[in-house]
Amino acid sequence: MRERLSFYVKRESFLHHLNPLTKLTLAFGLVFAAFLSPWYWTPSFFVLFAIIPLSFIGKVQREYFGAALRLILPAAGFLFLMQSFFQPIGVKVIFKFWFLDITQESLMFAFTNASRIFVMVSSFTLFLLTTHPSELMSDLTRRGLPSQFAYVIISTIQIIPQMQAKAQTIIAAQRSRGLDTQGSFFNRIGALVPLVGPLVFGSLVEVEERAIAIEARGFTSTSIKTSLREIPDTRFDKMFRWFLILLVIAVIAARIWLS
Amino acid sequence: MKFFEDIKKDFNTMIWVLIPVAIAINIVMGQIVVILKLPIYLDSIGTVLVAVIGGPWAGALTGALSNTIWGLLIDPNALPWWPVAFFIGLVAGFCAKGGLFKTWWKVLIAGFLIALTAAIVSTPIAVYIYGGITASGSSFITAYLLQTGQGVFQSVFSTNFLVEPVDKISTSLLAFAIIQGLSSRFLARFPRPENVEIEQGAERTQLFIAVGIVILLVLIAAFVLVKILG
Amino acid sequence: MAIVNLQNVTYKYPLTHTPVLSNINLEVKEGEFVAVIGPNGAGKSTLCYTLAGFVPHFFKGELEGKVEVAGVDLKSTPLNEWVRNVGLAFQNPFNQISGAKYTVFEEIAFGLENQGVPRDEMNRRVDQALTMTGIRDLADRSPYSLSGGQQQRVALTSILVMQPKILVLDEPTSQMDPIGTREVFGVIRQMAERGMTVIMAEHKVEWIAEFADRVVALKDGKILLQGVPADVLTSHLLAENGFGTSRYTSAAREALKFNLWPKHLHLPTTLQEAVDGFNLTSAPSPKERGE
Repeated sequence: MRERLSFYVKRESFLHHLNPLTKLTLAFGLVFAAFLSPWYWTPSFFVLFAIIPLSFIGKVQREYFGAALRLILPAAGFLFLMQSFFQPIGVKVIFKFWFLDITQESLMFAFTNASRIFVMVSSFTLFLLTTHPSELMSDLTRRGLPSQFAYVIISTIQIIPQMQAKAQTIIAAQRSRGLDTQGSFFNRIGALVPLVGPLVFGSLVEVEERAIAIEARGFTSTSIKTSLREIPDTRFDKMFRWFLILLVIAVIAARIWLS
Repeated sequence: MKFFEDIKKDFNTMIWVLIPVAIAINIVMGQIVVILKLPIYLDSIGTVLVAVIGGPWAGALTGALSNTIWGLLIDPNALPWWPVAFFIGLVAGFCAKGGLFKTWWKVLIAGFLIALTAAIVSTPIAVYIYGGITASGSSFITAYLLQTGQGVFQSVFSTNFLVEPVDKISTSLLAFAIIQGLSSRFLARFPRPENVEIEQGAERTQLFIAVGIVILLVLIAAFVLVKILG
Repeated sequence: MAIVNLQNVTYKYPLTHTPVLSNINLEVKEGEFVAVIGPNGAGKSTLCYTLAGFVPHFFKGELEGKVEVAGVDLKSTPLNEWVRNVGLAFQNPFNQISGAKYTVFEEIAFGLENQGVPRDEMNRRVDQALTMTGIRDLADRSPYSLSGGQQQRVALTSILVMQPKILVLDEPTSQMDPIGTREVFGVIRQMAERGMTVIMAEHKVEWIAEFADRVVALKDGKILLQGVPADVLTSHLLAENGFGTSRYTSAAREALKFNLWPKHLHLPTTLQEAVDGFNLTSAPSPKERGE
């Protein structure tokens, strides 16, 4: 249950030193272009000529390929199978299975969809591998995002593993007291309350003290907030962001043009 | 500007601290349900909780962030569904404002309304992003409906409409049970404690109304399904 | 001129009818170290929350009387301005971690960021604070990876770095093991020596005797007695009202019954005083005992 949280890998690379907003624009730019492009090969093109090279530029290729093989490929592969079997489109039947026809069109459709999902997850994975959450939030706060959002995002990332650990302790403790978490359907439903109760109420009672603690440290102060981190935003960053926005616009234009 | 004032009213320090906890509750609950192999999601309890004691916009924010964080950090397939979670929070908040979280039988109605919203909002996402077939198990139903010659929108919506009510009604009831377990002194620190002040009323009439509502909901559901499929 | 001034303060939490604080009058001078003692439910925490502004601004409820810190009136000042003058640290160190930061250094800077302190000054002040409380070696660790005592020292540093005019501590060591307690009191001793105005609720009387200038004994929301530690902590009123007393005081009080404590001496509150006193009575020297 405890898995990949906060991926950031600390390295010195060109990608690491880009402004966080630039990397965010890059991730979203690739996703939008992949989804909006009129050509089926665009997502695969992005994987080969943008995402994989970028993973090397960011010196996180090992981590990226690890994630791609363990998580992204299975998810996209499953989607591909589901869609190629279940999409009732097309006429050129390749083979039949029970009441399902697999056609050339449904295969194409499934491939495009799965590769789009692959691009989406890959770009965000790369983004997270090379961007520290605090850096991103400091930069966005500086650009006008209310600072409460930074608090919410970072504190969520830190609370999830704590709560997962707590859940595991509770599950282990209740099992050792003879709670049935594997038996019949009704047993398992019955197990829900003794597991969830302590977990939820335990974390809710802390809310009041934690609110007092941050309030005592000026959380609701009306001053213009400053940031400990200095996050550079170069001319290259700005130009690159404009380039990405233009790319997405070009793809949309192509789509309208071709339809 | 009244609109922004309204949004602002949903947030105080207590809510800002509660939101991360609620997101973690969503995610960890979603995982516990998988461990227990239960056929529901229960991954919006935190969202509904925030929506009820904070307000619609706090709920919407919790929902949207839950799916985004879940998608980015744990399961990529959760990412495209953030608008659904956003509207679950929003509708739950408006239900609570309208007094639907004061007694358990009203919570059933709220659960149903939330389910309806979820079914409506997830349909276009499933259709446009996944062509109707998503990575979730319920897509087998969609696939079957598609094979019988139904249109893609009808098939996806019918599937959602079959799956959502049980989950969202259970979610709302669990959130309600959690709120009942919290002291009124604690609840008073949140922006909208008035949403959960218990109504006094005769238990028998309530039960009567509840049964009536459940029958009505089942009838509506059946009618809608027949309309769509027929 | 008193920096803290409470006049006829009475307070009820919302939805309750009995006051938690009734008719409290308290003045604290600049640089004074005041310890507040009392049994559970005496109103120690509520008094701390009142000084820190959370009563009534956060907890709501009814506050009567006047609360003034550094010449500012509590009722007419919003909480976010009040906290600039008053720093607060409380029992549970874990809940005092903001959660918004990854390292101790950033955690301590959190309050300064909120106040809009420029980056250079922020770095300098965090640096100084880390040195002052002796946790420089923790600067790059995650606040969640620390022990309770370390976390509480981080919490204290996070407040001190904001340079409040007075510091309010609500039993900062009550959830700590002996090592953690010693670590945290080490920092508090520093504060006392630097002449910081501190108001601390605490039940570990042995420590209070060491650095408090004045002790206020609270019982059922009222001030039972106050004065210098040596007087208050040895008062028979404390024992009669269910207060915890120093084990040295209790030992000497028992010894007094058997004439084992010199009558002309004050009852001891610290280990040193007890050792000195018992030395006087344990008349037979080792030599005499031997012969």
